[in-house]
Amino acid sequence: MAGAGKRAAFARGFWILAPLWLGVVPFGFAYAVTARGAGLSLLETQALSTFVFAGSAQLSAVGLFAAGAAGFEIVLTTLLLNVRHVLYGLALGRELPLSRRERPIAAFFLTDEAFGVVAAARERSFPFLIGAELSLFVMWNLATAGGFVLGAAIPNPARFGVDLIFPLAFLALLVPLVRTRAELVVALASGALAFGLAQALPGGLPILLTGVGGSLLGAFLSRGTPAERGIDPKDAAREVA
Amino acid sequence: MTFWLTLAGMVAVTFGSRYAGLALRAELPDFWVRCLHFVPIAVFASLVTPSIEGNRNEWAIRVVAAAVAAGAAWRTRQLWVAIAVGMAVYWMLRIPF
Repeated sequence: MAGAGKRAAFARGFWILAPLWLGVVPFGFAYAVTARGAGLSLLETQALSTFVFAGSAQLSAVGLFAAGAAGFEIVLTTLLLNVRHVLYGLALGRELPLSRRERPIAAFFLTDEAFGVVAAARERSFPFLIGAELSLFVMWNLATAGGFVLGAAIPNPARFGVDLIFPLAFLALLVPLVRTRAELVVALASGALAFGLAQALPGGLPILLTGVGGSLLGAFLSRGTPAERGIDPKDAAREVA
Repeated sequence: MTFWLTLAGMVAVTFGSRYAGLALRAELPDFWVRCLHFVPIAVFASLVTPSIEGNRNEWAIRVVAAAVAAGAAWRTRQLWVAIAVGMAVYWMLRIPF
């Protein structure tokens, strides 16, 4: 394929994600404001967006930093939140064979949104995929910087109770995921268990224990129903994280 | 320093998860696929409940704000709408106190 064709495919991928910027920008703002409230510097806040590039994991990490959690607890929570990408990689690798050189690049910028939209589109090529992935990467990082700088204009943010943004954001991420009875039971049980554990255990331990326990409970409750292997692209796009 | 070590660990596990699927050509057993499906649900829920209460003795109005935000999330499926509605309710309920 000529360079011009690759550039056109990249541009198509980049713009096909544009409607999702509407969701990414406020999420980036919420993350940056929370990070600032947790005492992170602009450099640290931005470094997470550039190198980790995973919204829900970043938001939970800054919440845990604020709560004084240990580094390994934050890393394990990040792992829990991001292992689902294994499934996206498996699905994507089946439909779009990538070269040895392309794989690490495609992997670094892989997100729920990019996977969901590319899986739903008919086009399958590396430039198209990278265009879609970078579209989100650029907006996420701009939103992070913008949110941090604008957040600096709010004097004493704690006075306005901006720490409530943290649970509200995760509630808004959670609600669309709950559709079946088993999912509702897991959500309610996990919420109750984490609340109980948080009264006795410090930092990130309640989240880790609940994450493992809740997902095992879910796998147990949904036994007998077929596992969703060919991930529904609409679902992935909804799992904004 | 602790921050940068933690960041390096976060990068390692995140990139590892993203790369593993693309590099592997294997089928996961059904049980683990179902398990992975429930991980975000369990983790998101566990991040919500312990931090709703806050530390300014406002738990009642914060729970109300969160309930309204959950309703907004359910209706609109938009993250920013849920946060905006929740914060608006919270700030309005704070005024009388």
